[in-house]
Amino acid sequence: MADKGSLMKRSRRVMLTMMGSAAIGAVSMGFVPKPRCGPGEIAVGGEDGRLHCRATYGGFGGTLHHFHGEGHGHMHGGG
Amino acid sequence: MQRITCPERDDWRATAEACGFDFHSVGGERYWDERGYYAFTLEEIERQIEGPTGEIDAMCLELVGRAVDDEQYLRRLRIPEAFWPLVAESWHRGDAGLYGRLDLGFTGHGPAKLLEYNADTPTTVFEAAVFQWTWLEQAIERRMIPKAADQYNSIHERLIEGWKRIGKGRHLHLTGVTGDAEDAGTLAYLEDTATQAGLATTMIDIEDIGWREQGGFVDLERRDIGLVFKLYPWEWMFRDEFGAKLLEAPTRWIEPPWKAVLSNKGILPLLWEMCPNHPNLLPAFFEDDPRARELGTSFVRKPLYSREGANVMLISEGVAFAEQEGPYGAEGFIRQAFADMPRFSGQYPVLGSWLVEHTPCGLSIREDENPITGNSSRLLPHAIL
Repeated sequence: MADKGSLMKRSRRVMLTMMGSAAIGAVSMGFVPKPRCGPGEIAVGGEDGRLHCRATYGGFGGTLHHFHGEGHGHMHGGG
Repeated sequence: MQRITCPERDDWRATAEACGFDFHSVGGERYWDERGYYAFTLEEIERQIEGPTGEIDAMCLELVGRAVDDEQYLRRLRIPEAFWPLVAESWHRGDAGLYGRLDLGFTGHGPAKLLEYNADTPTTVFEAAVFQWTWLEQAIERRMIPKAADQYNSIHERLIEGWKRIGKGRHLHLTGVTGDAEDAGTLAYLEDTATQAGLATTMIDIEDIGWREQGGFVDLERRDIGLVFKLYPWEWMFRDEFGAKLLEAPTRWIEPPWKAVLSNKGILPLLWEMCPNHPNLLPAFFEDDPRARELGTSFVRKPLYSREGANVMLISEGVAFAEQEGPYGAEGFIRQAFADMPRFSGQYPVLGSWLVEHTPCGLSIREDENPITGNSSRLLPHAIL
């Protein structure tokens, strides 16, 4: 059980450093544009010899889409 | 415990939006509602909410310790066999969890009762930690509530301290369904607290996580994902295509895989079996357990996996009188005795009792005219008077 000193918090300062409407908007839109290698694709190196994308994307999120596909409109990960 | 009507701040919407809380209303209906608040005595908070929350969490951890290496438990919880090693290894390795929320039935008369444990992907944390506190400060300043009012709430500072211990200066990815305003807001808030703890962070949608050709999860810039907070349920990750990769990846997940045990409604009968007649538990049984008959014909039916009240059904004398639709139930159901849930001004309140790093540290309250708390239930502030 906490003592009263730690429970009574009238002197606490709750500050946010970066959160705000703009930040939320940015999250909703995605911070970084998707690379060209889409789900299930493994990209190869470009003519410049640099590897542009050597990863497979889209392997998470399928269950959410499955539920949406069943007509359960408001589904999200939190609860 | 009382429900007290009070005036709302005339600028609360602007205040909410200025700090990123732009999901304060859902479908035009209030989600945040400060036209009333719940008042508690300090003794109620300390003895009937804070103390029992710590005790219930301790029981839950004991249960996880029993379950992770026991095939019978894991089968009863319908955790897919392929992921038993992932769950067990994360427990034995001591992978840390950050936070969770117990949903409690409480009336001020008699002990609080555990309704369920949101151990894996709890939302409403920003509202509970920050916006509720802002309300308290401004409502006192504006003389809307007594000057001596206080609040049971140290969630914010404990999250920052938690990140310092868990993150240890590492780069943190945060992932989830970023197209959903509520989840995006929760992720943005947790990112903020991690930043204040000194961690470098990257936000990434769950669908944008990649798998490196040579093995290992990566972000869109092909940077290794070593430590990641996810607001996406373990049971969904297990089903997803990349679920099969989880065992071979060195990634550390927050919440860790062993939380798959606790976010399952099957813990309710298992806790009752482990600690029968505990004052903070309700009798509960798996639906296919013959002992479920002990509940008679009146009980609450819950799917093993469910969020925000989906597929929960209230049955009185054999007749369903309240039900939430949803996609869950394929893995089976549990039955739980009714909690004593009297209404306050026509509303059913459910207490969200928060823990950060297993320390009870705050309270939030959802209320609804419907006895099943769902996605549209309103969140009200609280005060200690």
